[in-house]
Amino acid sequence: MATAKELADNAVDNTVVGPSILISGRLTGDEDLTVRGRVEGELTLSRTLIVEPSGVVKANVAVKNAIVSGVVVGNINATESVELTREGRMVGDIRAPRVIIVDGASFRGRVDMGDVEPGRLPAERPTVARPQAVTRPTVRPGATPPRPAARRRPPWCPGRRLRRTSRCRRLRPRRPRSPRARPSRRVRLPLSRRAVLRDPCHPWWRLARRRRSW
Amino acid sequence: MANTVIGSSIVIDGEISGDEVLVIQGTVKGKISLKESLYVEGSGVVEADIDTQNVEIAGRVTGNIVASDKVELKTDCRVVGDIKAPRILIADGASFKGNVDMDMKER
Amino acid sequence: MAQGETGIIGKGIVIRGNLTGGGDLVIEGRVEGQIALKNHLTIEGTGKVQADIRAEELTINGEASGNIDASTRVAINASAKVAGDIKAPRVVIEDGAVFNGSIEMDVKLSFEKADNTHGEYGHWFEHRHRRGDFR
Repeated sequence: MATAKELADNAVDNTVVGPSILISGRLTGDEDLTVRGRVEGELTLSRTLIVEPSGVVKANVAVKNAIVSGVVVGNINATESVELTREGRMVGDIRAPRVIIVDGASFRGRVDMGDVEPGRLPAERPTVARPQAVTRPTVRPGATPPRPAARRRPPWCPGRRLRRTSRCRRLRPRRPRSPRARPSRRVRLPLSRRAVLRDPCHPWWRLARRRRSW
Repeated sequence: MANTVIGSSIVIDGEISGDEVLVIQGTVKGKISLKESLYVEGSGVVEADIDTQNVEIAGRVTGNIVASDKVELKTDCRVVGDIKAPRILIADGASFKGNVDMDMKER
Repeated sequence: MAQGETGIIGKGIVIRGNLTGGGDLVIEGRVEGQIALKNHLTIEGTGKVQADIRAEELTINGEASGNIDASTRVAINASAKVAGDIKAPRVVIEDGAVFNGSIEMDVKLSFEKADNTHGEYGHWFEHRHRRGDFR
């Protein structure tokens, strides 16, 4: 087995998180960090973060440069640049003056190329609707129709319209189209009654639950 | 061989777990659990409970150490805490404060 | 892509309104409104587009603002300035490009479970569907 000296000489002034290592918590430092394992929590570096293909970072990251070839879930603030390479996969927001996304990388989130304060950890993703206008530049014409306010919808009901028939906070989401949906032989309930069906607090459901047969 | 190095300017506040060799030159607070060897180098500062197979300490460690094989305290190391391991080596010049438990059953 | 079908909106041209079509298009001038194109759209360095864009493939060298929905690929080259939300399976941003907005690609995170599409009533739906209540 190699001694500590030999191991240290292999990686000169460079921190490596090996493939089987999990670090959860806060990690800060002033040197390059290579992640081949997992890091969860918070990550603040004054230099470069390299996430290798086997690396997984589930953290809010504040660095100078970030090179992502693995997986990052969380937001990255970089004072210089963020690069998603061919194997890079990321979900979260990027704030950096330079952002490079190479073909083959996959990314979901926002990109903001405004200025970034060094060492400042990115804010958690707000769960509520994000004020859309903030990062939009002024060039955006008023004529373009804004995207439908999909973010306003409750998380348990993606993309479905709801109507309330009785005083309760939750509604059943409108039922999804099944792939084998065909025009029903049964008479469709009138709209008002279908709204009742979607409302789990409506008294009808109490009766329905007790019902033995349909 | 895969190995993990925590560089001298790195500060980790949290938990480290894994099954490979870990070399600490920086600062770790919290908890370390490994299935392999841990090396705390001269610049390393550990304020954590350690649970590994082998530990080799040349730096400063505060916390309880449990090793399934061996604990080695090198010269100029400073260790405060209890050590539990079947084999314990303390070199000349090492400073250590705490209990030593070399349970014969563990062998 | 047949070269002959490529349309060009020249430098001096300003278009306000909707732009739809089937062939490839190169924009060197200005377009405001909406663009829906079946094939490849290129916005050249001189081009300025303020529009919601739908196309198969999109290459931006100039300025674009608005929401972008591409069915294959969006390439934002080094000289481009883009603002808006992008939805495409592949998005490429070159070094030097300026982009503000959100990007939505398919991200497969192997270690995470797939989303429950029906939210908290998911089980209820599955069960009811199987029973055939909704037929």
